Amino acid sequence: MNRGALAYILGRIVRSLSALWVIATILFFMFRLLPNNPMASYIDTTFTAEQEADLMARFGLDRPLGEQYIIYISNLLRGDLGDTFKYAGKSVIDILRDDLPNTLYLTLTSLLLAYLIGTIGGVILAARRGTNFEKTSIVYTLMTRSAAPFWVGMIALAIFAFRLRWFPSSGIGGAGTIYSSEWEKLASPEFWKHMALPTFTLTLYLLGLPLLLMRSNMLEVLDQDYVTMSRLTGYSERRVMIQTAARNALLPVLTALTIGVGYSIGGNVVIENVFAWPGLGRTFVRAVSQADYPLAQGAAFIIAMITVTLNFLADVLYTLLDPRIGASSRAQLS
Amino acid sequence: MYSKLIRITILMIMVLALSAPAFSQSAGEVIPTITVRSVTQAERPVEFETTRLVVENMKGLGLDVVHRAVPWAQLIDEVWFTREGDDAWEMTIWRMVGRPERSDPDEFAYNLFHSSMAANGYNFVGYNNPDYDAIAEAQRAELDLEARQGLLFQAQEMIANDVPNVYFAHPSTPQLVRTDVWDIDTVVTQAGIGIHNFWTWTGLTPIGDQDTIITSTTSFLEAFNPLYIAGDAPSRVTELIWDRLMRIGPDGLPRPWAAESVDWESDTSVVITLREGMTWHDGEAVTAEDVVYSIEAVQSGQAPQYSPFAKAVDNMETIDDLTVRINLSEPSAAFETSTLAKLNLLPEHVWRPIIDDLLTQEDANAESIQEDIPVGSGPYKMVAFDVNEYVILEANADHFSPPAAEGWIMNVLPNQEATLGQITIGEINFLWEWAGDSEVLAQVAEANPNVALFSSPSLGMRYFAFNLRIAPFDDVAMRRAVAHVVPKESIVNNIYKGFAVTADSYVSTPIEFWHNPNLPDYEFDVDMGRQVLADAGYTWNDEGRLQYPAD
Repeated sequence: MNRGALAYILGRIVRSLSALWVIATILFFMFRLLPNNPMASYIDTTFTAEQEADLMARFGLDRPLGEQYIIYISNLLRGDLGDTFKYAGKSVIDILRDDLPNTLYLTLTSLLLAYLIGTIGGVILAARRGTNFEKTSIVYTLMTRSAAPFWVGMIALAIFAFRLRWFPSSGIGGAGTIYSSEWEKLASPEFWKHMALPTFTLTLYLLGLPLLLMRSNMLEVLDQDYVTMSRLTGYSERRVMIQTAARNALLPVLTALTIGVGYSIGGNVVIENVFAWPGLGRTFVRAVSQADYPLAQGAAFIIAMITVTLNFLADVLYTLLDPRIGASSRAQLS
Repeated sequence: MYSKLIRITILMIMVLALSAPAFSQSAGEVIPTITVRSVTQAERPVEFETTRLVVENMKGLGLDVVHRAVPWAQLIDEVWFTREGDDAWEMTIWRMVGRPERSDPDEFAYNLFHSSMAANGYNFVGYNNPDYDAIAEAQRAELDLEARQGLLFQAQEMIANDVPNVYFAHPSTPQLVRTDVWDIDTVVTQAGIGIHNFWTWTGLTPIGDQDTIITSTTSFLEAFNPLYIAGDAPSRVTELIWDRLMRIGPDGLPRPWAAESVDWESDTSVVITLREGMTWHDGEAVTAEDVVYSIEAVQSGQAPQYSPFAKAVDNMETIDDLTVRINLSEPSAAFETSTLAKLNLLPEHVWRPIIDDLLTQEDANAESIQEDIPVGSGPYKMVAFDVNEYVILEANADHFSPPAAEGWIMNVLPNQEATLGQITIGEINFLWEWAGDSEVLAQVAEANPNVALFSSPSLGMRYFAFNLRIAPFDDVAMRRAVAHVVPKESIVNNIYKGFAVTADSYVSTPIEFWHNPNLPDYEFDVDMGRQVLADAGYTWNDEGRLQYPAD
């Protein structure tokens, strides 16, 4: 790796960290500005002013906003996301530690499936350009891409869970199932069966981007001289498609993967709620509606961290794959 | 030239003369636009629709009204924390849910309207009536049932006359039970509560191999803590794990439970004898010391939510291993309901170390404690729970009244519509929580021979509340006029689709003993509403807008 690339990566690290700081700051103020109040869920006929003061003190909300912010940021630097307002005896980290693996299993599996099927599908569609198959497929892809994942999820539930009864409708295990460890969970067929419908829905939601992108890249690449050259050389059409065209068309799809991660988080929030999947997205929604500031901040921050980290990794990967990026940054630096 | 001027002058005088009657009435200002608040349609469609209807009807009085729908959490925030000032709320829809201990009217009668609650308590409407305060206090101390009934009838009548609230419905919650799993004759309907009550959970008898109650909730299971009142769903669990000295029976009246007997020696002294042979889930015996400690823990300052319920207790003494005498600081009519049937029995050996430790800490109290496996003495024992996913209980075979089912599971299922599919295919066998259209549940029960529908009116109520501190609702005539444009019958029949009964008081009609049957009725009639306003001196301008009376 040359010096330019190294400088580029260092620059990226600084930018990622400052992005996280900005996000943490925005999160802190955003939830406090929302028209909601953490006291709202405590209010009852026997609720008193002393109780209110007591709770405000316990949550640290009686201190000035600036002081709260400094406490929050300094805790964050030490990896402490605080205590939740609502869950007795639990820290934010406790809750998110349970949620994170579930979200990752669902997201990564769906992303993998979507980009695998999407890439291959894009090549096939490009190869069959102009056929009825291509036209119908594009219509269906556009439909799944623009359909609300909430709606797709409900349809999937109605058909596969409640009519055909192929898959369970919610959660990560049948009634009464207790997983004693992550390993036991992953080794259990029950878990994968429960993951089927949410994965299906999220995959369908994510599929459109890589599929359409791959197809249009392919069509562009197929017009290039080197492809024509490759054809003239006498290679089989299959070999031209896969070895020559697809390899070159793939790069932008990889770029889109990093966008896809952010995209999938948006889908997660909805899909986790539809299928009662105990992940970050569901906890986030819950925390926001209850004005559980530390939990909402924590969940959103972890989601942001995943996105920023993956984007960073993609950038690094690019420097390795494409030396021009480092070079251009060197040009900028000098 | 002059003649023209004279003619114009005469004309002007005539115009002035003709318009004189209008001036002589010297109407007050036009009433500015009123904002009526409600929850959003997505959250509670029924309450949203009701508000929309009433807002339209209020326009018939000559008012300019806008409907502001916000999420429930925000509505609470706006109503609770902006009682006065320019952005204070004016009128809002509100709800009180039915809870067993609310079978006694004391909680509503006192906390909703006593003037001491107006500044920052639940009297958020700002009702301030010394006569009412006196009655609300007197009924608390009145131990003679008939006399107390008389006082509460009077209290309800005062509220009906002063109209700080317009009650319109006691809703019925439709609930579903799988009939191929449970003997539906063992489902108990608790007056004003529904079938999701302690007696059903412990009495429900399986008819086949499936012997675990499986149900779900859309809310999260925040905590299982005997000193913390969490949401509705965790409260269902708390009442199964921890016993209480008394329980509210299906009839709405307190009956001895963990107590073998509750004997009143005087108005302020009660002797409680525990049942013999009770044990905690960890095997230790339940003793009179535990009973004393259960109340002391609540009074320790470490359980602010429960402390109002132990306020009446002055001191306690153990007489023997199973007997305790409790002395009250003053007579308390609702003591059995709101103290003995409300406070959870705690094992002293578990909680004393926790509380003692908490007393040395500054910013924590017992409400934020979560035991790994909670220990109570109730008919169900905790097996496992995950706040985001499930709670699993098993029957406590050693209990003096062991449940007929083997286990009890509640899954967290935020997607309400999916619960419908689940009960249809039997993934859950008991559906108790439903915020959607009641008719949908009725249809599910009709279409599915293995699903039975239960529905009975709640002791909770839905109503419109006015902010009595500010104009225009500081005037009782204005409130009475609005009461005349709330079509209760039509709301119950068309919006609630018959899954409700009309309401006229904070005491629900199913609670027959306490409900005053002779309250003034505000018949639905816009003209009558206008007449009330006209009688009070209100007028209408040329555009039909209502104007304040001239002072």
